[in-house]
Amino acid sequence: MSSTPILKIDGLYAKVVDQDISILKGLDLELQQGEIHAIMGPNGSGKSTLAKVLAGHPGYEATAGEVIYRGEPILEMDPEERACAGVFLAFQYPVEIPGVSIANFLRTALQARLEGDDEVDLFDFQDELIERMKLLDMDPSFAERPINDGFSGGEKKRNEILQMAVLRPSLALMDETDSGLDIDALKIVANGVNKLREEDPEMTVLLITHYQRILNYINPDKVHVMVDGKIVQSGGPEVALELEDQGYSDWKEI
Amino acid sequence: MSLESAVLKKLGQGAPEWLCRRREHAWNVYKNTPLPTTQSEEWRYTDLSQIVDLESLKFLLPGDVDLNGSLPEILEGVLNENRTASGSSFLVDGLTTNIDSEASLSAQGVIFTSLRSAVEDYSDLLEEHLAVEALPPEKGKFEALNAAFWTDGVLLYVPRGVNIKLPFRTVNYLSHAGSAVCTRTLIIAEAGSQVSYVEEIISEDFDEITLASSSLEVIAKEGAQVQFVSIQQSGHGVFCQSAQRTLAHRDSILNTLNVGLGGSVSRVDLNSQLLGSGAKSDMLGIYFGDQNQCFDHNTSQDHVASNSGSDLLYKGALDGSSRAAFRGIIRVHPGAQGTDAYQTNRNLLLSDNARADSLPNLEIEADDVKCSHGATIGQLDKEALFYLLSRGLSRQQAERLVVLGFLGDVMSRLPLGDVVDEVTQAIEQKLLTHA
Repeated sequence: MSSTPILKIDGLYAKVVDQDISILKGLDLELQQGEIHAIMGPNGSGKSTLAKVLAGHPGYEATAGEVIYRGEPILEMDPEERACAGVFLAFQYPVEIPGVSIANFLRTALQARLEGDDEVDLFDFQDELIERMKLLDMDPSFAERPINDGFSGGEKKRNEILQMAVLRPSLALMDETDSGLDIDALKIVANGVNKLREEDPEMTVLLITHYQRILNYINPDKVHVMVDGKIVQSGGPEVALELEDQGYSDWKEI
Repeated sequence: MSLESAVLKKLGQGAPEWLCRRREHAWNVYKNTPLPTTQSEEWRYTDLSQIVDLESLKFLLPGDVDLNGSLPEILEGVLNENRTASGSSFLVDGLTTNIDSEASLSAQGVIFTSLRSAVEDYSDLLEEHLAVEALPPEKGKFEALNAAFWTDGVLLYVPRGVNIKLPFRTVNYLSHAGSAVCTRTLIIAEAGSQVSYVEEIISEDFDEITLASSSLEVIAKEGAQVQFVSIQQSGHGVFCQSAQRTLAHRDSILNTLNVGLGGSVSRVDLNSQLLGSGAKSDMLGIYFGDQNQCFDHNTSQDHVASNSGSDLLYKGALDGSSRAAFRGIIRVHPGAQGTDAYQTNRNLLLSDNARADSLPNLEIEADDVKCSHGATIGQLDKEALFYLLSRGLSRQQAERLVVLGFLGDVMSRLPLGDVVDEVTQAIEQKLLTHA
């Protein structure tokens, strides 16, 4: 392993703001650019906390350790700065925002990435949006709907993938994107991620999941097992298959 | 000229006798009606004694206003927007300066004229409806004040079966600090007709309190469809008082939207009367306050006939140390079976110093009805903000977007696309000052 990792997490401790108990307890992780890593673990192991801490959720606080993204420490950065630097979090529970269309939202998000007085060209944006939706086999009318308002679970997750497609992150954190999806919806979401990766092999993905099944559709370079706030095992795709057979019970005693 | 019967005399010059008597009667009602205090439930949140001394205001009369032929900049701006309309009128300090409408409409019998000229040209129509059917002076202190001292306004009459696509538009502009301006709008839609009407109030900023009193009377006959929109964007120092009463007859659809953005104090009394079976009324409202602005809405939905429906949705955002009060009641009268009536008021507090009070109410005297009411007062959803921040939006962009979505949502039911765009822009403009 020669090059500098795109993401390096070193001895990370984190907790919920206003609470004393650590959820992440000395977590280490390294992702090289263009890799797909999966983190698997039982409920309560701290997987979602890791995603939120990396994205800068104000409800969580890192108490020790370091996170270096593209050579810069990011724990002190605001969530919007991290996003503009190329970090994207696909939410486990995408939030409903009535009255704001997906198109308007994405245009504002692209605008936020521009310097000074530069403005997103409306027509270029429309073209781009339509092209991205085509790539994901989505109906153009989808972008006119208010963000996640009244969406089914599958629609919400597809909306996350659409945002990812438009914002083109360097590092995509996918927090249990597969949870609550039936097999058809799961395939659609996994296909979306694969298409984006084909298009941009430099995109790095950190896939957080409870179940092995999404890994039937997205092939990880590395699989990590997370238990009680730490990575307890790392390896290739075979780790996920072993877990599928044995479950997390072996790790419970640790 | 301040408030006294001499004003009435001047207003009565050359007017038909019925009108002089009606003004005189309203003046007597006004004198015998005490100024509402916060002791009364309906004025609990707006202390008039702290806002305005009606006796000290200068009531403008025809001849008091002289623009020297030049239009103020703010009005030029509106005129140059080149809106598509079936007709438009401009009032300056309560007097019509321009009014015109599509020639083809008058050929169909549509009347769109200033109230002052209607007194001469359509005296019988006014005698039958003006300040007597929907909003008689007995309704309250301000209703009486307006009925006595109105200087001008608009009469819109749509004959049977005439369907008018584009809205009629009126702009009310105030220029005199410390004045009182009383205007009225009377809309009569005959059976099966369709019409929409949009009025705006704009003004300069004033150092002294200035009263803009408006009265709205809408009568929708059988099967008529009427949309009324009010966009209040007056300047600082204006006390905007608006009394509105809508009468929906059998199978008519009578919808209203009140948008409150400007003024120091804004009070809207809206009473929707569902008088005929099958009548429907959507009652929409948007308000957005900052600094020390106060918005007070007092609404009522009166279901008199059976199988009528009303659906009220008022949403407000409050920044700075602004305040809002909403008091709404659904009254289902005896015999009004099959009523569908809903009432929702939602408030979003954008600052720790802003405040909202909401009092939804039901009074049901029939047994086969569907009614619900609800009120919420909340702050910006932190998870929603984080969601937007995590996509790269700044805190300011994220908050603006959430507020715009929250308020704009109300207009999803409004079929007037141009008006929706205008209101959206006005809200966006005001949001630019939200830090």
